[in-house]
Amino acid sequence: MMLRSLLIETGAEILKVVRAPEYIIPTLLFPVAFYSMFGVVLAGSSNNAGYLLATYGIFAVMGPAIFGFGVSTATEREKGWLTLKRAAPSPAVNYIAAKVITTVIFAAMALALLYIVGGFVGGMKLPRQTWALLLLTHLLAVLPFILIGLTLGFLLNTNAAVAFANIVFMGLAVLGGLWIPIFVFPELMQTIAKFLPTYHLGEIALAVSGQSAAPGQEEREVGGHLAMVINMTIGLAALTIFAWTRQRN
Amino acid sequence: MVKSYAWGLSENNTLYVRAGDNPCFEHIPRGAHLHILKFFKTIFMPSVNKIDDICHLFGCDRHLTNLGMEHLNTHKLSCRTSPLVVTALKKTYAKVTALNDVSFSLDGSGVTAILGPNGAGKTTLINCVLGLVKKDSGDISVFGHEPGQMKARRRVGVMLQDTDLPDLLTGRELLALFASYYPSSLDIEDVISLTDTASFIGKRYKKLSGGQKRRVQFALAIIGNPDVLFLDEPTTGLDTDARKALWDIVRAFVAQGKTIVLTTHYLEEADALADRIIVIGNGKIIADASADDIRNRMSGSVIRCQTRLSASALAKLDGYLDTDKVGRFTDIRTQDSAATLRQLLAQDDTLSDLTISRPRLEDAFSELTSDDA
Repeated sequence: MMLRSLLIETGAEILKVVRAPEYIIPTLLFPVAFYSMFGVVLAGSSNNAGYLLATYGIFAVMGPAIFGFGVSTATEREKGWLTLKRAAPSPAVNYIAAKVITTVIFAAMALALLYIVGGFVGGMKLPRQTWALLLLTHLLAVLPFILIGLTLGFLLNTNAAVAFANIVFMGLAVLGGLWIPIFVFPELMQTIAKFLPTYHLGEIALAVSGQSAAPGQEEREVGGHLAMVINMTIGLAALTIFAWTRQRN
Repeated sequence: MVKSYAWGLSENNTLYVRAGDNPCFEHIPRGAHLHILKFFKTIFMPSVNKIDDICHLFGCDRHLTNLGMEHLNTHKLSCRTSPLVVTALKKTYAKVTALNDVSFSLDGSGVTAILGPNGAGKTTLINCVLGLVKKDSGDISVFGHEPGQMKARRRVGVMLQDTDLPDLLTGRELLALFASYYPSSLDIEDVISLTDTASFIGKRYKKLSGGQKRRVQFALAIIGNPDVLFLDEPTTGLDTDARKALWDIVRAFVAQGKTIVLTTHYLEEADALADRIIVIGNGKIIADASADDIRNRMSGSVIRCQTRLSASALAKLDGYLDTDKVGRFTDIRTQDSAATLRQLLAQDDTLSDLTISRPRLEDAFSELTSDDA
């Protein structure tokens, strides 16, 4: 019964997304459009296409996670839908799980577009296992962003959630070096980046896709970045739980 | 089968159990818990596994101490058979007391209206019972469970105030979703026909009118085949037609032997639907009686007129009950309008603007609430 309920809940979440094309189409197209522009058309050399594919992959999954969770949770909480579900025998874990599955599905669609452009137009050539590992890295990267989205959704009303989601979305992407490689930033901004999950996720994705470090930079230590990501995710989870408890009372 | 029985934990952690009408009062030391659990399991509820389960079953606190015999008796079986028992419920927001010492229980089917002005504590009461708001003190038992527990939620249907469903889903999709939460939900088509929503159930929620939205919410509230249904201000903001349509649906549901608790500040609504009316004001229960009882309290007729007779002269009239000054008019409530009128006309030759009417529930209501102030 739990599984059936989860399936129906997930179906409902997917319908909600599909029926709001004005939200989902830009979310899917934005990353691939930017990537085509900066990674393929303007860059010229195929190395850029490869470098930016790793970081734009992280950028691509941020949208569905932060906006999907942040804005939709804020709206549904404000409308009292979450309260009604809490009065009904609907397990909270179903609601979250259905949203996670939906987010992963749409994140995968955004990634597919990106990989198609990177592979066919940008001329990226990677062994099949590397593609698979990169996809896995990108998909797992939704987790911290989902937690950010949930926290925003629990703490803010719809309008504020939209505004904050935009700030967080752009801020994390730019400052974390997802659009422009971090090593061209001034030193201060490089230091700031080290406190952002996007930077560490980008570095992991770069390492996974076999990008060697830029000249004058240390080789990437995947273990260190992974540890940072895990710590930050735990921190965000704590924040989410705080926000969750707060909105209940 | 033991029909009535009572229990409690004393200060020295002794569990007292009294079974049946047998006056013998057994002292069972805490070490004998297993024995007691076995007793509960076989006689009462197979699902009982620990002392806390018994506490939940009876909606009692584990540390309910200092219980005398009388108190124990009040806790007997009623908790299990009753869908809802509220005992000495208190809830305070910041420094405002929303509920103060509220006690009532539901037994049997029918509609209980919780009636009161806005801000009286009606919604707080419903939210406490549903486990959406934490109570400060007191006991609530929903079919023997704590409010908000899954077991309680499965037996309860809810229509909340100020709630909107997701805009982009259709009524039918929402029903399918809610049906999946309940172990024995009703057939979706049956619910659609009962709530008379067939013509718009396939439309997206956003596109529905206010009345249609409420009907979909009502359908969602009953899809789980609840044993008790809570409706918080179900018709606030609806026009007369939409309100009457929703009342018809509520009546159809009650006709199936269901229990409904509805809050409302419309007297008309309580009058139209309720078998029992609990009047609440400033967080307290002011009156709790059958709707007929409350009407009967205002029995007789009301004579409205302009008279020069003094209050003491009026009080001597035959059949006199009470009077009320309304502007330049005097309302005289009487058991026997003909007798009162005859004397009234004889004693006051200037009497004018005479009308006679039946007292309305509204009069009873305003009298009850003003008693409290």
